[in-house]
Amino acid sequence: MKKRLIRSISIAVIGGLALSLLHVGKASAIPAFTRAYKVECSTCHTIYPELNEYGEAFLKNSYVYFGKGKKAVREKEAAAPAEIAKPAAAATDVKGEGDADKLSKLKAGAMGASGATASEPAAEATSPANGAAGGGEAKSEGLLLAAIPELLPISFTASVQGAYDHSQPNEFDLSSRVLKLNAGGNFREKASFFATYVAYSENTSNITNTTSTTPANNSTNIKELYVIWRRAFDTPINFRVGRMEPKLSLWKSSNKLSVTNSFAPYSYTVGVSEFTIQQPQDALEANAILGNRFFVAGGVVNRKFQNAKEGYGHISCKFGGADYLANEPEVDLAKEESIFDFLTITVGAYGYYGKNGTPNTTPGITPIQNTYYRSGVDMDILYKLFRLRLAGVLGDDDSSNLTASLSNVAPVKVKSYVAAVEGEFTFLQNLIGAIRFEYQDDGRGLVRRYIPTLAYGPLENVKVVLEYKHEVATSYASTPTSVAQDFTNRIGTLDVTFSF
Amino acid sequence: MRKHMLLIALFTLVIASVADARIMAKGRGAKMNFDPDSIPAQYKAQFDLMTRKCVKCHTMERTVIAIQTGRAPITGQPFERQAVKAYGIKMLRKPDSNMNKQEIRDVVMLLNFLLGENAK
Repeated sequence: MKKRLIRSISIAVIGGLALSLLHVGKASAIPAFTRAYKVECSTCHTIYPELNEYGEAFLKNSYVYFGKGKKAVREKEAAAPAEIAKPAAAATDVKGEGDADKLSKLKAGAMGASGATASEPAAEATSPANGAAGGGEAKSEGLLLAAIPELLPISFTASVQGAYDHSQPNEFDLSSRVLKLNAGGNFREKASFFATYVAYSENTSNITNTTSTTPANNSTNIKELYVIWRRAFDTPINFRVGRMEPKLSLWKSSNKLSVTNSFAPYSYTVGVSEFTIQQPQDALEANAILGNRFFVAGGVVNRKFQNAKEGYGHISCKFGGADYLANEPEVDLAKEESIFDFLTITVGAYGYYGKNGTPNTTPGITPIQNTYYRSGVDMDILYKLFRLRLAGVLGDDDSSNLTASLSNVAPVKVKSYVAAVEGEFTFLQNLIGAIRFEYQDDGRGLVRRYIPTLAYGPLENVKVVLEYKHEVATSYASTPTSVAQDFTNRIGTLDVTFSF
Repeated sequence: MRKHMLLIALFTLVIASVADARIMAKGRGAKMNFDPDSIPAQYKAQFDLMTRKCVKCHTMERTVIAIQTGRAPITGQPFERQAVKAYGIKMLRKPDSNMNKQEIRDVVMLLNFLLGENAK
């Protein structure tokens, strides 16, 4: 009776919270890129942090805004008819040799104009949108020469969650809180950087003998920290080095509606190996956009105590929709509507080869190693309000239990097959629903998951997600030493994530 | 014959001077818009459509500034006929923009007209 009452109250609280958020008005978001470029979150996101195709282009363009860069600016200005780009009386041409783009900006800065190039109309420099002109690149000469972003490019993302798990003694729990710092940007479009620092994540292990203890900080950690050398030697190749998610799947791990449920093909583990496709690695990667619609990446991972490099590669191609440089597709507006006006298909394939286990750098000790590979295929189909994501991965581990050669236990070879399909529907710009099915055969048994998700953005920088995971396991051994059994998990989560 | 030619030339000049009248904007900030009285009758329907549909995601101020300056106010990129078409295609494909191809075509034609008027 008491449990039922608590459950009813919990549902009422969650419902009330959700309903109250439905009535919040519009506002602009303000995290790092929004601040830097003076654009709305919805420029790059559907509901933050899921990316739309312009967000993907921004990511692939190494955090330089679309159409920026000297080449792009030259192309755009060449395309602009002379009568539109009316010179202002006060503006003068920049003379001299060298970096005309930089000289132009320096001159604009020295004159106090806000990032306006010499050919910009005077009206723009005095317009209400003055500060936003030039994609927010207005800066003084000193800042420009120092290549330092005018605004400190840091933002915070916080998540607060409540979860309902029928199998737990404490069925409803305000389960976790996370605070992350994000930083990202570029230095004069020549180099870019990105960092994610987990400042707080909940750790319940300190709760031992009193339930009055609030959970401590699990650990602080750098999840991502990398720098990109853009367009190295004036080629399309970018070099990325540092801690990063290697470019394997079509979507970065955060690029989804769900907050708590990662895509199984990218997050499953095999045996005692902790490797997952989306885990941050210390790596050097080269990537490039080729022909506007192909993206290729390849890299080398160098892990501590592992004197053998791991390697990976990715290739993807986009048919229809805006290309990887955010150029719109050619659509004849004079013709009748066609399915191809709206259809976008992106296909990607990847492979990862590596070894893990005990360190192979200790003299005199034979390492216990697991050699593994993953190969996968992804597909992203977008048509009007519908989106379908398909992901499948095939894995092979030759010693998933990391058996010592002396223990007379045979190494466990595992072939893993994991797939996910997720359909998404945009009800409103700020209300998106999705349903996902996952199939996971990772050598421990079979798991099927059904995950419906409803995401709502009352403000562009606030996201409320209601999701449910129905997990059915068949003959599944949760750990390598546990007994295989059938079980079902039913977990509901209400998450509020906000960035600032 | 010469008289006729002279009259035609004078009439053309008069017409041209009338056509030079630029589209006016009125209001400030979020309330800024093109003055409906300065929109020619043949573009009234498209103007009403634009005013009704485009404000779903942004103010008309953004459009007015883009037309007047030839630059998109957020990105600073040139706002000319090619860019107008690209924006039209972007809005056509934008989920929940609630605009069909015919409506996009009408708004693109109106924006091209406004650009042309502003360039005079």
